Amino acid sequence: MESDNRGVAIGLTLVLAVILSLMPLSGDWIVWKPNFLLLVVMAWVIHWPNDLGILFAASVGLLADIVLRMTLGHSVIAFALCAGAIVLLSRWSQYLSMLQRTLLVALIISSVAVLEASVFIFYDRPSGIEHLPLKILLSMLVWPFIDRLVARLQPKRG
Amino acid sequence: MRNVFSRSSSLLRKLLAVILLAVTLMLVDNFTLWLKPVYSAADSLARPLYWIANIPLRVQEWSANIATPRSEIESDNLRLSKESLIYHGQLQRMSDLAAENLRLRRLLNATELLQDSVLVTEVIGVSANPLRHTLTIDRGTDDGVFVGQPLLDAEGLMGQIIEVHKRHSTALLITDSSHALPVQVLRNGLRSIAEGSADYNRMNLKFVSPTADIREGDKLVSSGLGELYPAGYPVGTVLSIASEPGDNFLKIDIDPSAEIDRSRHLLLLYTSRDSAADAAK
Repeated sequence: MESDNRGVAIGLTLVLAVILSLMPLSGDWIVWKPNFLLLVVMAWVIHWPNDLGILFAASVGLLADIVLRMTLGHSVIAFALCAGAIVLLSRWSQYLSMLQRTLLVALIISSVAVLEASVFIFYDRPSGIEHLPLKILLSMLVWPFIDRLVARLQPKRG
Repeated sequence: MRNVFSRSSSLLRKLLAVILLAVTLMLVDNFTLWLKPVYSAADSLARPLYWIANIPLRVQEWSANIATPRSEIESDNLRLSKESLIYHGQLQRMSDLAAENLRLRRLLNATELLQDSVLVTEVIGVSANPLRHTLTIDRGTDDGVFVGQPLLDAEGLMGQIIEVHKRHSTALLITDSSHALPVQVLRNGLRSIAEGSADYNRMNLKFVSPTADIREGDKLVSSGLGELYPAGYPVGTVLSIASEPGDNFLKIDIDPSAEIDRSRHLLLLYTSRDSAADAAK
């Protein structure tokens, strides 16, 4: 029953994240928009590192690639790397304060985004790296809300 | 301690497997069309999500309409009536010029000018990936939309249709980095290629030699070469021209004519060439 509830909660937060990702914005805002799906996935993995790990993140990454029309596999790698880093640090991340957790998430997202941009630059494609600092900053501002939402939605353990 | 290491190595194995799978998917997606049905099905499934994502925009438009005072609506109506009268007058003159042009072309045994018709469409979704400039419109095969069909807004060329479904379609915008279209300078007919730059407000002009007659402020229109876009539609204005020592070509930035990231109501263009092709089928 508990896992059923968690499934519904995960589904709801993912649908909400997809809607926020699809919401049209004009001007520069569109390039600064945080990756809501990635943030939601990271929040779930931080709260359930033993149950929701790399495979969960990779599956949502695949969903993101299909729905948001990216090259298939692109978000799979980015999401799996972020989830992998969180699972690896899960022994410590559980004891971090909200501010420290926000900084950790920002660090992980920036590292993966820089890696991603380097691949684009290598293939001489637009990378959007110039927009990265503001995008990370906005992600940091949004993170506490997502973290709290996921913490509230998850079923109480044992 | 051993537990930590075994956990890390299992994590690494999983990560490597996922990366391997993702790279395979990337190769399949980039070099084959096998995944097209998956995208097509996902597009149809995601349509309600696009609709929900557009709600705030619709509410904003609705509230703006509600908040507009009656006097403003009346003055807008008066202004539009005047504009319509002026455009009708200009159109009559255009018809006269078009007929004259046709007569001259016939004298020269040249191809007849194409008469274009349009269909109004509305944007129902934009790409969530800021580096991929595509949008979804509410017309599909039911309305006779086809792959390669040009898309305009009130100001100029917006892009072309790349995918068609029953009731919606996806268009690639001219500012996408993978898009290029043949253009010419309106002032002197100088031909070039306008390429997208992944920035909604910028395009680049390619292969223009440093000795070419081009100036800031020059208007660019589609040249009709390549037979995808019809000739004569506004594409943009030359914003800046830079020449770097050692470069064979100028670095030219263009400001697109169309309001790429703002227009909501667009026009799908049907040329008489398309109609002729349909008739031939």
